[in-house]
Amino acid sequence: MSVSNDGNSSPRSQLASRCFEDLLDSIIVDVASECHRIARLGLDRNLEEEEEELRLSVQARVADPSSSSEANSKNVVDIFGQTHPAIADEIFECMNCGRPIVAGRFAPHLEKCMGKGRKARKVTRSSTIARTRHSRGSPVSVYAPYSNATNSNRAPNGTTGGSGEEYADYTYGVP
Amino acid sequence: MSSFSAPSAGGRRNLYVPQPCPHLADYRSNAHGLAKPFRSLQPCLRVRPLGRPEIRRDPHEIPRCGPCSAADGGGGGMGPRLYACLACAAVCCPAHAPAHAEECRPGHEIAVDVDRAELFCCACGDQVYDREFDKAVVLAQIAAAAANASASCSLPESLRKRRRVDYRPWTPDPREWATMRRESSPLLLLDASDPFSTGAANTSTSSPPPSPGLRGLNNLGNTCFMNSVLQALLHTPPLRNYFLSDRHNRFECQQKGRRKKDGSGDSTGGHRWNPSGGSPVCLACDLDAIYSAVFSGDRTPYSPAKFLYRWWQYASKLASYEQQDAHEFFISMLDGIHENVEQDQHKPQSQGNGDCCIAHRVFSGVLRSDVTCTICGFTSTTYDPCLDISLDLDSNQNYMNVPTTKSHACNGANDFILSSQICGVSTLMGCLERFTRPERLDSDQKFFCQHCKVRQESLKQMSIRKLPLVTCFHIKRFAHSSIKKMSRKVDRYLQFPFSLDMAPYLSSSVLRSRFGNRIFAFDGDDSDAAIELASEFELFAVITHSGTIEAGHYVTYLRLSSQWYKCDDAWITHVSENIVRDSQAYMLFYVQKTLYYKASEDVSAS
Repeated sequence: MSVSNDGNSSPRSQLASRCFEDLLDSIIVDVASECHRIARLGLDRNLEEEEEELRLSVQARVADPSSSSEANSKNVVDIFGQTHPAIADEIFECMNCGRPIVAGRFAPHLEKCMGKGRKARKVTRSSTIARTRHSRGSPVSVYAPYSNATNSNRAPNGTTGGSGEEYADYTYGVP
Repeated sequence: MSSFSAPSAGGRRNLYVPQPCPHLADYRSNAHGLAKPFRSLQPCLRVRPLGRPEIRRDPHEIPRCGPCSAADGGGGGMGPRLYACLACAAVCCPAHAPAHAEECRPGHEIAVDVDRAELFCCACGDQVYDREFDKAVVLAQIAAAAANASASCSLPESLRKRRRVDYRPWTPDPREWATMRRESSPLLLLDASDPFSTGAANTSTSSPPPSPGLRGLNNLGNTCFMNSVLQALLHTPPLRNYFLSDRHNRFECQQKGRRKKDGSGDSTGGHRWNPSGGSPVCLACDLDAIYSAVFSGDRTPYSPAKFLYRWWQYASKLASYEQQDAHEFFISMLDGIHENVEQDQHKPQSQGNGDCCIAHRVFSGVLRSDVTCTICGFTSTTYDPCLDISLDLDSNQNYMNVPTTKSHACNGANDFILSSQICGVSTLMGCLERFTRPERLDSDQKFFCQHCKVRQESLKQMSIRKLPLVTCFHIKRFAHSSIKKMSRKVDRYLQFPFSLDMAPYLSSSVLRSRFGNRIFAFDGDDSDAAIELASEFELFAVITHSGTIEAGHYVTYLRLSSQWYKCDDAWITHVSENIVRDSQAYMLFYVQKTLYYKASEDVSAS
C-alpha cells in the first residue's frame, strides 16, 4: 500500500497511489469517527449482553453437537409419566360425517370427507358402487360418503363400521 | 414472565451525553455571553446530498493545513482530517493542531473537523460532543432536506400517541368476588397426590411440577405444523391471558351468531355434521375451546380435530392432507380470528394500532419504509402494518467458514457482530441488522423521484415504527423457485438470543443514525427512557423444523417459568437451555418484558 519509491513507478502512478491512499484514509477516519461517537454516547451499551448470548450459544452447540434430541423422541416417557403410540389412537366422531375416526388418521379422512385437497376425487354414485364391489366382492347398499346433505350414518353392509373403509383407503405415510 | 417488573437500573440504549472536557466547558462558558456558543459556525454548516454535513466558509473553499502548506511551499496540506479552530478559523492537520492550541492558549483548544462536522479538543487530543452543536448540525440537515421538499408523510392517524397512564391493579368488589366464587373453578395445581406429576421417568426430583396448560396435542396426520403453532399461541402470555380471562366466551359468541341467523330458514344449528347451517364459524371460539381443554388439568393428549375442521372451512385453499407450512398456518389463523371478530363488532379495519381484535393487539406492529433518491436526497416514507417479521438467512458465501471449535479465537474480538461473521455463524441480530440496513435498489428498480421528476437510483431502508407486544420472527428457510418449480430448504444454523433489545431496529434509532447519531430529540420520539423499556424482549417459544421440505417435522420449545419444555405433538418433555439454543429455529416468539398502559380512547373498549 505504501508508495514505492523505486525507479519503476512513474510520477503518474505515484500520484494515483497517493490519491488512493488519501481516499482510503478518509474512509477509515469516517468509520473511526462514527464508531467513536457511538461508543462515547453509549449507543453500543448492549455489546456485553450480545457477546454473552453468542458465547452461550457456542457453548450449547459444543455441548450438544448432534441433534440427537430429535431422534427417538417418540419412545420416551413424557413429563406426566405417560407414553403414547406413534399414531394417536384416541377415537372420536368426525364432525362432518359423524363416523368414529382414529385421531392419527383424522386429517386424511377429513380431507376426503370434506372434498378438499388434491387427492380428493369427486365421487359419483356409480364409481362408488364399482369401487366397493371390487373391494368387498359383494353388492352393498349405495353409500355416498361425499353427500353432506343427508345424514349418511349408515355403514356399508358386511363391514365393521365406518372405520373399516378408512383403513383400507389409508395409504399415506405416517408422520 | 413478570409483566409489570420495574425497569432495570442503568439505562441501556438511551443517548448518554458525556461530561464536557474542561476545555470544551471553558469554551461554552466563555462564548462572550452569546446564547448560542457555536453561532459563528452556523453559516458555515453546509449539507451535501444525503445529509453529510461539512464546514466551509464559502461553498468552494478548499481547506488546507496552514503549517503544512507553508512547509510545502503552498502545495499540499490536505490530508484526511483537517480541523478548523473555533476561535480563529485557522485550519490545521492533526499533527499541527496541538501546537496551535498550545501557542494560542487559552481559548483555541476546540476545533471542528471540517469534513465531518465533529468537534475536536486539540488539548485532549480527542473528539468531543456537545448538545448545542449537534442540534445546530441536525437543524441544518433537516433544513437541507426540506429544501428538497422531502415528503415524509405524516403518521397515519391511528399511530398518534396516546398518553401513558399508571398501572392500577384491579381488586374485585364484593359482588365480583361472589361471581368469581360461583362461576369459576381453580386450575388444577399439581401436588404429590396427582399421579401424573410424580414418577415421570426423566424428570429430576428438583424440577418444579409442570405448569398448568401443558398438554400434548395429538398429530392427526401430518398436522405437526398446526400443533407447533398452537402450542406457541397457547402460551403467548397476552393471548393466553385474554382467553383465560374469558374475554372471548365461545358460548356467548355462538349464541349471538345463531341469533343473527334467525329467520334464514335453513336447518337449525345443532346438526353436527352440517357446516353450512347452524353455528357460525368463529376461529376464536375454537381457540377458546382449545384453551379450556389444555388448561383443564387433564394431561392426556388433546386432539384438536374440531379446530382443524374449522380451519379448513375457513382456509379452504390450504385444506389438504399434506405437510403445510407452519408460518402460513400462523398467518392464516390470525387473519381468521381478525375477520370473525371484526365482522362481529363492526370495528374499523385499521390494523395500525391493533385495536380491532386480540390477534392484532398482540402481534400487530408497524414497519416503516424509506426510499431515498441518491441524487437529491428526496425521501418517500410509507408505513405498513405487519403481523410478524420475515428474515432472510444470509447465504453461506458471505463468511469465512471457520469451524466452531475455533470460536475461542473469536471471543477476543471487540465487535460482536464482526466476531460472529468471522466465525461463520448467522445470528438473529445479524439478520435484523441486514433487514434495517440501507439497501441500494437495483438499477432496474429505479424509483421515481418527485423532486427530480425522473427515475433515479435509490436507497431503501426498513425500520420498525411500532413494536408489537409479541414479536414473531419468521426465518425464511424454504426457498421456492418459481422458475425451477422447486423448493429447497436452508438448514443453516441461526444463533438467537434469549433476551433481545430491539432498540437499534426502531425507526427512531435508524433515523437518528441516518443523521449521524447526533444528540437531538427527533420528531415523534418517545423519551429515550420509554423506548428502552418498551424495546426489551424475552424469548418464550421456538418453533423448529427438522428434515426436508417433503418429509419434515415441526417441534415447539416453550419456556414456562424459567423451565424449557419440548412439545413434540403428544410428547411433552423437559429440555435444557442448551438444546433450545442449538435447535434450528424456524419461528421465534419474543414478548415484551415490560408492559405499560395507554389511556383508553374509548371508555367501553376492552
